[in-house]
Amino acid sequence: MFIFTLRRFNLFFFTMLLLTILSFSLSFLFPGEQLVNLTGQINATPEQLAVLANEYQHQAGFITQYFSYVSHLFHGDMGYSMASHLPVATEILNRLPATIELTSVALLVAMFVGIPIGFFAAIYHRKTPDNIILGVAMIGYSVPVFWLGILAILVFSIQLGWLPSAGQISLLFEIEHVTGLQLIDILLSDSPYKWQAFIDATRHLILPVIVVALAPATIFMRLARTAMLEVLETHYIKAAKAKGLTFWQIIYRHAMRNAFIKVIRDVGLQFANLVTIAMVTEVIFSWPGIGRWLIESIYQRDYTAIQGGLIVLSTFIFIVHIIIDFVYAALNPLAREPRHGA
Amino acid sequence: MNLIDIRNLSIELQTATKPILAVDRVNLTMKEGEVRGLVGESGSGKSLLAQAIVGVLDDKWKVDADRFHWRGQDLMRLSLEERKVIISKDVAMIFQEPMACLDPTTTIGEQLEEAVDTEQLTGFFWQKRQQRKQAAFTLLHKVGIKKHEVCVKSFPHQLTDALCQRVMIAMALARRPILLIADEPTAAMESTNQGQIFRLLASLNQLKNMSILLISHDLENVTHWTNSITVMYSGQFVEAGTTEQIFNQPYHPYTRALVDSSPKANMQIPNKSRLMTLPGSIPILQHLPIGCRLGPRCPRAQQKCVRAPKIKNFHGQQVSCHFPLKDNYS
Repeated sequence: MFIFTLRRFNLFFFTMLLLTILSFSLSFLFPGEQLVNLTGQINATPEQLAVLANEYQHQAGFITQYFSYVSHLFHGDMGYSMASHLPVATEILNRLPATIELTSVALLVAMFVGIPIGFFAAIYHRKTPDNIILGVAMIGYSVPVFWLGILAILVFSIQLGWLPSAGQISLLFEIEHVTGLQLIDILLSDSPYKWQAFIDATRHLILPVIVVALAPATIFMRLARTAMLEVLETHYIKAAKAKGLTFWQIIYRHAMRNAFIKVIRDVGLQFANLVTIAMVTEVIFSWPGIGRWLIESIYQRDYTAIQGGLIVLSTFIFIVHIIIDFVYAALNPLAREPRHGA
Repeated sequence: MNLIDIRNLSIELQTATKPILAVDRVNLTMKEGEVRGLVGESGSGKSLLAQAIVGVLDDKWKVDADRFHWRGQDLMRLSLEERKVIISKDVAMIFQEPMACLDPTTTIGEQLEEAVDTEQLTGFFWQKRQQRKQAAFTLLHKVGIKKHEVCVKSFPHQLTDALCQRVMIAMALARRPILLIADEPTAAMESTNQGQIFRLLASLNQLKNMSILLISHDLENVTHWTNSITVMYSGQFVEAGTTEQIFNQPYHPYTRALVDSSPKANMQIPNKSRLMTLPGSIPILQHLPIGCRLGPRCPRAQQKCVRAPKIKNFHGQQVSCHFPLKDNYS
């Protein structure tokens, strides 16, 4: 287990190294002055620029420049947004929690809906439920997310009026900013309207979560179906049958866990996909998250924000990836130990 | 009374084009307390036959039999569920590759405990947990595993193949079966471990009067441990009889070839001489010969062999051949 952890940290270190190199080189590749791109101070006087150049060791070689950039990053200094003139770090800290909330809820929903349905399809392999589920999964996977988002707003918010169409919470409620995660903040607050606020926030969450979760859920369905079919073919299922266990006992005790392990490995990969979908969805639902902010920054040619957002978003995806790896290791005894001879 | 009596059992593989008869009218009878070997090359349908008896074949395979008696009870008249209840109560099976037959993510203890029959437990549900645990320990002791504490906490990949097979046998014993079907239990095992497993099976047979159907491709090895042997070739019944009969005076050309092809320690073979073998190899399922499937390879084959032979009985030794080697021994 120690070696497993060490390996993950190793991977994390090198991925971060490459990411920071990429982000650093972006400041050269973007049009304009490199130092301005890096710091985002477009209206700086020549004196201020000279101070900044000294700070970022602009006269030294590329490697020294890179290390001073990394040390700035470690101190939480990502420069200033060219558009809003606020520190990029503050902007990100204000917006990242909303994205974490949206994506993690969507991931959980996609997993808890998609995987059981996939198992169900595998159990009824080549029968009517299987065919229906596969068909629905195909449709769900091919629907474009922006169209689905707009359609969901049209139907459920405008025509039926069941759910709000935009934002994270109604403006009536005033929630203190503690962790940034809205639902947790609401539960922490001592407002008398706590539960109303909670319900309102949940209502705001439903539509975007469904839109984000749909495509990954269909992927999980198909992954889970294949994994379950593979597991049902294995010798240990046959042996369990010969042991005299009933079909559902076999499914619950042996097949589900093994199939789930196979699926969970791919969940981490799908998460990057999910974040991309979430970025588009945030724009449609005016969700105050980092994705919408990043897309706006791209429109506004806010190079500093793009660099910072890129690093933070990729780090977030990568951390989730590693967490899922640990879940995988916790479930699978084979992954925990170093392989002997192989 | 025969323990198991199977007449003309056929297994068909349902394919997209036409069904393939993988096992063609095979007979198998076993007495109580008998150790019977089921011998044949790989692909001769012996594992299929065993899996058909236990009922773990999936929907692709269609099983049909003229008679399937279990301790005098006609199982063909019962529904699939009723049959499964009877069979899973009295028949247990162990497989080749024991490591692959244990769930890799569940500890040995849990897998053993779930095999323990609920009817053997007494008392209330909170006592049953402890009893199950105790039953698992006893089972491990029965198969000669002394470090039960370590064993129940291990995962299958942490044990050796031979230990896994012992655990599989322990699981099979959990329901106190009358018949144990061992499907090449020692394939891919070292010979010391093979000996251990066979000795364990033999002692179970002697102490608990448990009948064993030992499936193997190795005639030589099986003869040490069995009372009687059934030989199969390419899904067809070849010959059955006591081990001495089969080994000393085989009537079927195929059995003869099997016996001759295994070199014995006391056999005088000139240097660099060829071992006796049949020409050709076992036919693939898509191109099975009609009639006696040994026909194309058989040294005694004649025109008659395109029709499947009837089974002849010589002093309890059953042979399925038009031209048995009977006159050779008189």
